[in-house]
Amino acid sequence: MYMRRTSVTTWMVVPSMLLSLTAGVPTVAAQGKPIRIGEINSYSGLATVFTFPYKEGLLMATKEINDAGGVLGRPLEFIFRDDKLRPDEAVKAARELVLQEQVDFLAGCITSAVGLAVSAYAKEAKTLYFATHCQTSRLTWDDGHRYVAHTTNNVNQYVRVMARKAATLGYKKWAHISPDYEYGQNMWEEFSTYLKQLKPDVQYVQQNWPKLGESDHSSYITALLQSGSEAFFSALWGAQEINFVKQAQPFGLFDKMRFFAPAVGNPDELDPLGKEAPIGAVTSGFAWYDEGLQKRHPKLAEWAKRYTEWSKGKEPKLGASWGYASGYIIAEAIKRAKSTDTDKVIGVLSEGFEMDFPWGKVVMRGCDQQAIPPQWVGVVKMNAQGRPIMTEVEEVHGKEIVRSCDEVAQLRAAAAAKQKK
Amino acid sequence: METITALFPWITNGPLILVQVMSGLSVGMFLFLVSVGMSLIFGVTRIVNLAHGSLYMVGAYLMVTLIGFLPQRPWAFWLALLLAPLGVAVVGGVIEVALLRLIYRRDPLMQLILTFALILVIGTLVLIVWGPDNKSVPRPEALAGSVRVFGQPFPTYYLVVLALAPLVAVGLWLIFYRTRWGMLIRAATVDREMLGALGVDVSRLYTEVFMFGSWLAGLGGALAAPTVAVALGMDGDVLTTAFVVVVIGGLGSFAGSFVSALLVGELQSFGILIFPAISIVLLFALMAVVLIVRPCGLFGRPEE
Repeated sequence: MYMRRTSVTTWMVVPSMLLSLTAGVPTVAAQGKPIRIGEINSYSGLATVFTFPYKEGLLMATKEINDAGGVLGRPLEFIFRDDKLRPDEAVKAARELVLQEQVDFLAGCITSAVGLAVSAYAKEAKTLYFATHCQTSRLTWDDGHRYVAHTTNNVNQYVRVMARKAATLGYKKWAHISPDYEYGQNMWEEFSTYLKQLKPDVQYVQQNWPKLGESDHSSYITALLQSGSEAFFSALWGAQEINFVKQAQPFGLFDKMRFFAPAVGNPDELDPLGKEAPIGAVTSGFAWYDEGLQKRHPKLAEWAKRYTEWSKGKEPKLGASWGYASGYIIAEAIKRAKSTDTDKVIGVLSEGFEMDFPWGKVVMRGCDQQAIPPQWVGVVKMNAQGRPIMTEVEEVHGKEIVRSCDEVAQLRAAAAAKQKK
Repeated sequence: METITALFPWITNGPLILVQVMSGLSVGMFLFLVSVGMSLIFGVTRIVNLAHGSLYMVGAYLMVTLIGFLPQRPWAFWLALLLAPLGVAVVGGVIEVALLRLIYRRDPLMQLILTFALILVIGTLVLIVWGPDNKSVPRPEALAGSVRVFGQPFPTYYLVVLALAPLVAVGLWLIFYRTRWGMLIRAATVDREMLGALGVDVSRLYTEVFMFGSWLAGLGGALAAPTVAVALGMDGDVLTTAFVVVVIGGLGSFAGSFVSALLVGELQSFGILIFPAISIVLLFALMAVVLIVRPCGLFGRPEE
C-alpha cells in the first residue's frame, strides 16, 4: 500500500502545480451580465448515475428561465466543478469559485459529507450556498446556519413516509440492513424512532451494518434469514443495493420477510435488476409514470415528455426533478429579493415561500431554509411489459410529517451545546 | 462456553458454519482469479499493475454488452463468458504495446504513476462508452435459484463458481509447470536478463504475459458480473482487496495467490459474523501481521 500512496501523492502534486500556473490568469468578472452560480457536484465515477440526470434537469430549468427573460433581466449561468466525491476537493472548488470566478452563489452536492463541508465553508466565506442533492438533515438542522438553504427533501421526510406506511401494516418484528456511515445511521435512527412512536409494540430484533460499498452480502443475508423478523428496512442505495438484492434473491429472502427500501423503487435500481427486482417491496421514489400520480398532477405527463425531448430520449429520474426544482427555487429566491445581494436573498429565504411544480407544491420553509416537497410511497410490481415499476403510489405532503420549527430549534440548541463541550 | 454461545449464537449451528465456509470459498475464488493475474504480471514484468481492477471492470461491462447482443438462449451466457475475457486480453495487449513497453527501464514510481493514470483513463472511457447507469447481468435461468446444502439454501451460481475456479487453478498449474511457455514465465520471474541473453524474445513474452494476466482479470469480472451491479467504482473496490491478497500471498507467487485468496475470502466471511464492526480492518491487520512475520508474503521469495 505504501507504493500506491506515494504514487497518489506524486500524481496529485504535479498536475496541481501545473494548474496553479494557468489558474493565476485573472478572469474578468462580467459585471451586470449573467447571474453566476458555482455548482459543485460529482461528475465523474460512480455518482454519475445520479448527477447526470440531475444536471440535465438543472440545465433544462436554466434554459426555460433564460428563454423567458432570465432573472431580474439577467440570464442565470451555472459554472460546474467536479468534487470527485471528496469534501476537500469540494471545498477547494468552492474557494476557487468564490475567490477567482467571483460567483454570486454556490450550489450542488451529492454526498452528505461534501454538503456539510461546503456549507461550513459558505458560513465562513459569508456566501449563500444552495445544497441541492445530498440529503442529510444535519445540513439545515443540527448544523444549520443562515448561509445554507436546502432545495430538496432531507432524510427525515422520506424515511418518515416509509415508517408511516410500515405502521399501517401488521409487522411487529423488525430487522434492518444499512451502510455504516452518516447517511445509513441517520436513516435507521429516523425510521426506527418514528415507527416506534407510531406503533409502540414493534420490536427491533436484529441489525446489520455492512460497510459502504460492500460487494458481498451473503453473511448478512444468512443473518437476516435467521433473525426471525417479519419485515426489514434497508438504507442501502445504488449499486450496493443492487448487489444485495441480486445476492438475496436465490435465498428467497423477499418471500420470507417484507422488504422496506426507500431507494429500490427508483429506475436506476429497478431497471438493471429487471427480472430479479424484489416484487412486493415497499419503496419511495419518483413514479412519474404512475397513472394515479399523473391524474393528480395534470402537468406531470407533459413535463416528463419535455424532459425526454430535452435529454434526447431519456426518461426522467428523481435526480432530474431535483435539478429542475433547484434551478427554479434559486431563481425564485433572487427574483423575490429583487437583487443578487446575499443578505437580501437570505432575507427572502428566511421568510419562506411556496412554489408549484409539475409534481406538486414545494414549501421552502423559512425557519430552517429547508425544502419540503410531496413524498411518495408505493410497492414494486412488474408491469405488463415485464418491467419492474413502482405502483400503488400514495402521496403524503412532507409538511404533514416533517419535524416542526420548534423541534429544529431544539436540535440546533443541542448541537450548539455539544460543540461548547 | 455459555458466554461464547451468547455472543455468537451461530456457533452451535454446524450447517450454518459450513455454508459460511462455502460462501467464503466462493468469494476467495473470485479474488484468486483477479489477484493471480496481477501477481503474474508483477512476477514477469516487475510492474505493479494498479489498473488491474479496471480490467476486471471492463470484463464485467463487456459481459453486459455481449449478453445484450447475443440471442436470449441458455448458451449465450457461456459464450459471453468465453468472449468477454478475450476482449479484456486484447485491451491488455494494447496497453502493454502502446504504453508499458516504453517505461520498463524507468523508475518504479513512474510505472506506478502510469498504471494509476490508467485507472482514471479507463474509468472515464467506461463512463463514455457505457454511460452512467448501473447495469446488471441476469444469472442464467438454470442457475438462478438455490440448492440445499446441509439443509441450508445456497445459491446455485456460487456452486458453479466453486467448481470453475479450481479448474482454472489446475489449468494454470499445468500451463506454468508442464509447458515450455510456462517454463519461460517461471524463468523470467527469476532472471529476466539471463533469459534474454539465452535468445528468448523477452519483449514478446511480456506482451503475452500481460494479455494473459488481463484475461484472468476479465474472467474474474465476467464471472462476478451476475452476482453484483455492474457499475462505475467496482474497479477500486476489487483493486484494494486483490492488492492485499497479492501482498499476503507474496508478489509473483502462484500458490501464494491461491492460498491467500481463500484465506481472505474466509476472513471476510467470518469477520462479518464475529466482529462485524471491524471486519474491514481485519483484512489489513492480517496483511500487517504477514508483512511483519514474512516481509515477502507467505510464498514470496526475497529479491537478490
